[in-house]
Amino acid sequence: MSTSEAPGQSRGWDTWQVRRTARNVAFLSPWLIGTGLFFLYPLAATVYYSFAHYDGFTSPELTGLDNWRYVFGHYPMFWPALRNTMWLVAVMVTLRVVFGLFLGLLVTRIRLGAGALRTVLYIPYLAPPVAATMAFAFLLNPGTGPVNVVLGKLGLPEPGWFNDPTWSKPALTMLALWGIGDLMVIFMAALLDVPTSQYEAAGLDGAGRWATFRFITLPNISPIVLFAVVTGIIQTMQYYTQPLIAGRVASGVIGGSGQQFEPGYPAKSTLTLPQLIYNLGFQRFDTGSASVVALVLFALSMVFTVLLMRRSSGLLGDGEGT
Amino acid sequence: MTADTAAAAGPLDATSPRTLSGRPSRRPRPPLRIDLEWIALHAVGIAIGLVFLLPFVFIALTAVMSDQQTLTRDLWPKTFEWHNLVDVWKTPGFTTWWRNTIVYAVAGTVLSVVSSFPVAYALARFRFRGRGLALGVVIATMMLPPQVVTVPMYLVWAQQFHLTGTLWPLIIPMGFGDAFSIFLLRQFLLTIPSECIDAAKVDGCGDFRAMLYVAVPMARPGIAAVALFQFFYCWNDYFGPQIYASENPGAWTLSYGLETFKSAHHTDWNLTMAATLMVMAPVIIVFFFAQKAFIEGVTLTGVKG
Amino acid sequence: MALPNTTLTGLVAAATVAALAAGCGGSRQGSANDDPNADVTITFWHGWSAPSEVKAIQANIDAFEGAHPNIHVKVVGNITDDKINQSLRAGGAKAPDAVSSFTTDNVGEFCTSHAFVDLTPFLKKSEIDVASTFPKPLQDYTQFDGVRCTLPLLSDAYGLYYNKDAFKEAGITRPPRTLSEFDADAVKLTKPDGDSFSQLGFMPNFHGYESTTTHLVAQWSPTYFDADGKSTVDSDPAFPAMFTWQKHLVDTLGGYDKLEKYRSTFGDEFGSKNPFMTGQVAMAIDGEWRAGMVDDAGVQFDYGVAPFPVPDGQVDTYGKGYLSGTIIGIASTSKKQNAAWELVKYLTTDTKAVVSFANAIHNIPSTNKALESSDLDRSQAVDAFIKIAQNPNSTTTPASPNGGAYQLTLQDVGYAYESGKETDLQGSLDRAAKQIDTDIDRAR
Repeated sequence: MSTSEAPGQSRGWDTWQVRRTARNVAFLSPWLIGTGLFFLYPLAATVYYSFAHYDGFTSPELTGLDNWRYVFGHYPMFWPALRNTMWLVAVMVTLRVVFGLFLGLLVTRIRLGAGALRTVLYIPYLAPPVAATMAFAFLLNPGTGPVNVVLGKLGLPEPGWFNDPTWSKPALTMLALWGIGDLMVIFMAALLDVPTSQYEAAGLDGAGRWATFRFITLPNISPIVLFAVVTGIIQTMQYYTQPLIAGRVASGVIGGSGQQFEPGYPAKSTLTLPQLIYNLGFQRFDTGSASVVALVLFALSMVFTVLLMRRSSGLLGDGEGT
Repeated sequence: MTADTAAAAGPLDATSPRTLSGRPSRRPRPPLRIDLEWIALHAVGIAIGLVFLLPFVFIALTAVMSDQQTLTRDLWPKTFEWHNLVDVWKTPGFTTWWRNTIVYAVAGTVLSVVSSFPVAYALARFRFRGRGLALGVVIATMMLPPQVVTVPMYLVWAQQFHLTGTLWPLIIPMGFGDAFSIFLLRQFLLTIPSECIDAAKVDGCGDFRAMLYVAVPMARPGIAAVALFQFFYCWNDYFGPQIYASENPGAWTLSYGLETFKSAHHTDWNLTMAATLMVMAPVIIVFFFAQKAFIEGVTLTGVKG
Repeated sequence: MALPNTTLTGLVAAATVAALAAGCGGSRQGSANDDPNADVTITFWHGWSAPSEVKAIQANIDAFEGAHPNIHVKVVGNITDDKINQSLRAGGAKAPDAVSSFTTDNVGEFCTSHAFVDLTPFLKKSEIDVASTFPKPLQDYTQFDGVRCTLPLLSDAYGLYYNKDAFKEAGITRPPRTLSEFDADAVKLTKPDGDSFSQLGFMPNFHGYESTTTHLVAQWSPTYFDADGKSTVDSDPAFPAMFTWQKHLVDTLGGYDKLEKYRSTFGDEFGSKNPFMTGQVAMAIDGEWRAGMVDDAGVQFDYGVAPFPVPDGQVDTYGKGYLSGTIIGIASTSKKQNAAWELVKYLTTDTKAVVSFANAIHNIPSTNKALESSDLDRSQAVDAFIKIAQNPNSTTTPASPNGGAYQLTLQDVGYAYESGKETDLQGSLDRAAKQIDTDIDRAR
C-alpha cells in the first residue's frame, strides 16, 4: 500500500488519508448504497423469511425449520426442478460448449463468405428470449409446426417436442443451440489468439490435423473452455424465461375459469428452480418456502461463482493507480 | 512476424481472420486449395447457416398467413395477408408496450452507465483495502439469479412504496450501479494507460475531473459496448416486468405483452408470429449498425482484457 | 488505508434493514368511512377478455354510472387471479376497490386472509337478505367458514355441446345420457385422417380446454373434503371411477399421444377458431357462455345443448352438472369501500342489471328474481343450462384456505394417469390426498 506514514505518526488520520477515503467512498457510493439496498437487505430478509410463515397479509411469525422440511420433503416440485437443472447442466451446457467450439473452428477456417456466415450464426443470439421461445413453440408445434411437417413428409416420426415430457428439454436445448452466437464469438476470439508460432512448429514436426488440435489448440483455449462451462452452469441456474414460456404456450391453458396452469408443463419436465420461487412466492404467497428455494439457488450459484473466480484470477487483472 | 512471413500472409480482406478488435490479422495462410476439405467445410457452413436462418423464414411466412391457414400443416401461405403486419400494431396495447419498453431500456441504460462508471473507475484505478472484496461482491451479484432477491424486494416495493404496477422498481435500482456494467467498464478501464490520467492530475485536475475529461472520452468504445448490453438486457427482460408490471396492462413491456398476446387477444399463430417478428426486428436492426461494439463487449466478458 | 469501505457497506445495510423493518406490515388498512355520495373514482377489476364480454360488462358499468352520477368506475379487464392476489397484498393507489374473479375456490383464501372485506355489515345496511336473494349453491360458494366476503355475479353451468349435423351423419338420434352411450357416440363421430383426425368425437385429454378433472368428476357427485376438512380424493369412489373412465376413452379414441398431437392443432379457446366451432370436435363439455359465442361466430352447422352424461349406475341423476360462477368482492385495502359497495350491490342484486348482463354474455343470472324475470332471454340453450343449475344433484368445487391448490394436485394425478406415466391410480390418489392435507395445513 502506498500510505506514506512517517514513523512515529500513530494516531488519527492525516488530511490526505481522510480526503482519499472520502474520495473512494464518493466514487463507490452508488454501488455501496445499491448493494446494501438491493442485495444485502433482500438476502438478509430472505434468510429471515425462510424461517417464518408469511403470506403477505398478516405479520410474519417464526416457525423454525417448518419451511425447510416442507420444501425438501413435501413440495412435489422441488426435486423434479433440481433433476431438470442437473439434466440441463449435463446436456445443454455440454452441447453448447461443444457446438460453440465447433462453430468457432468452422468460422475461423472458412474463407468464402465467412463474414456473412458469422453474422447469420450470431443474430439468433440477439433475439429476445420471449420472442425466440414463442417462435420455437410455434415451429415445434407437434401438429402443425413446420419441423414436424417436414419430418412427416420425410417419413420420420414426429416427436411431441414441447408437449412431450421426453422431448421438452431436448427442444429447449435446440433453442439454446440456436442462440449459440455469444459462445461462437468467444471461441473465435480464443482460437485466433493461439500463437501461430506453435502451429508452425507443429507443422514442421509433421503433426497431423487431429494432433495439432489436441496438443496445440486445446491447451491454449482451455481457460476459455472452462470459462464457457462455468458461466454456462451459472446461466443454467438462472434459466427461467424460456422453460416457463415454452410450457405456458404449449399447454394452451389460458387460466380462465376452472383451469390452472401447472408449472413445468408437461409433467414437470420444464421446471427450474427460479420458476419455483415464482410459483411459491407470487402464486401461492408462501413467502417462507419461496425463500428456502431462493437460498438453495443462491448457494448453488455461489459455489460455481467461487469456482469461476478462483480459476480465472487472471481475468480480474491488477489495476495500478492510487 | 518478420517481413517475409508478413508478405507470405497474403492480402488483408474481408475474409481475413480477425483479432479481438476486428482488425484483420496477418497470420500466414496456407495457399488456397479447392479440394475435398474446402468443399466439405463450406458445405457444412452453408448448411448450418441455412438451418439458422430457417426459423426466421418460417416466422415471416406464418406472419402473413390467413387465419384459416395457420392451423393447417401448410408451410407456404396461399394468400399473402400483408395487413397482418399492420393489424398487429392495432391490437390494443401493442404501441403501449413499445413505449414502455423504450422508456425502460433508455432510462435503465443511461442510469446504469452513469452510476457504474465512477464505481468501475474506482475499482480499476484506486487502491484501497477491501478492493478485492468489493470486486468479488461485484462478480457475485453479477452471477446471482434475480429470483433470489425478488421476493423481499417485491414486498418492499409493494407495501412500502406502492410502486407495483409500474416499471419504477426496475428503473430505480439502475441508478445505483449495475454489476455487469461495472465489471465490463473496469476491464476496459484497466487497458487505459495511466500516463494520460497522471498527466491530467499533474495539470491540477482532481480525481473526478480527471475521470470525466480524460477517462470517459478514452473509454468511449467500452461505454458503447456496456450501453448496448444494458439496453438489450432491459429490452429482453421478462422476469422483471412479470413481477412488477403484470397487474397494470398500461405498464407492460414487449416481452411480457408478447407472451400474453396469444391468449389475451385470442388470436392464432399468424398474428402472434407477426408480433414476434416486430419484437425481434429492432434488435437485429440495431445490431447491424453497431456490430463492432457488440463483438467487443462480448469478448471483453470472455477473454482477458 | 484506515476505515475499510466494507464497514461503510455494513452500516448502510444495517440502517436500511432497520428502516424497512420498522415500516413493515403497515399502511394497508382500508376504510369504510368514505361518503358514498361524494364524487369519487373507484377501480373495478374483472377477468373477462372476449370482446363481446368486455362490451357487455362495460355496458353494465355505464348503466351504473348513469344511476350513480357521482361514482366513476375505472374498469380493467382480463385480470387473472395471480394479479388479483398480488395487487391485494400491495395496496396503494393502483389497487382495485371492487374485484371479480372466475375462481370460486379462491373465496376460501380471500375470506380467511381478509383480502376481501366481510360484506355482512354492508348487506345489513342495505337490508339485503342473502338467503332469499340468491340460490342456495351460489350462497355456498361465496362464503367460507361462516365469513361472507363475496357475492355471486352471474353463475356458470357446464353441459354437453353437440354438433347436430355430425350426429345426423353418424346416425345418432339423440344426445347420450349415460357414459357408455357417450363413449359409443364419441367413437362413431370420430373420423381418422392419416395418422390424425378430420373430426374427433370428443377431446378427453385433461388439457383440452374445459375437459378438466373437476368438470368431469362432477358427473359422479363427489365430495372433496370430509367434515374435518381432510381431503377425500383417496376414499371417495367417484375419483378412481372418473379417471378410469377417462383413460379408457383416451385409449379407445386413439391413445394419449395421438390426441395430444391433435389438440395442438386447436385454435385459441375463446377465439374464432375454437375446435367445437370449427368442427374439429363434434362434442364438447363447456359452459353456458359458449352458446353465445357459437351464435356470434355464425357457424355453419346446427348445434344442440344437453346435460353432460352421467355414469351408467346413476341414470336417475341425469340433468346434473358442474356449477361455478363469477364472484365479486371489495378489497380490504380500498379506501372507498362505501362507493365500491354501491357498485357491488348494483351488479349483484339489481334485477335489470343482472338480467341484461346475463343476456349479453349468455351466463346464468345469479338472483332468484332474475331467474324468474320475463326479460330473461330464454333461448333453448340458456333454458337447458338454467335447468342444470337448478338441478339438486349439481355440484361445485368447495372453497379452501389455499384457493385452488387442491385442484392442481388432483389435476396432476389426472395428467400422469392419462398419459400412462402413472399406472397405480389408487396409490397416486393416496399421495394426492396427503399432499392436499399438508398444503392446507400450511395455509391455515
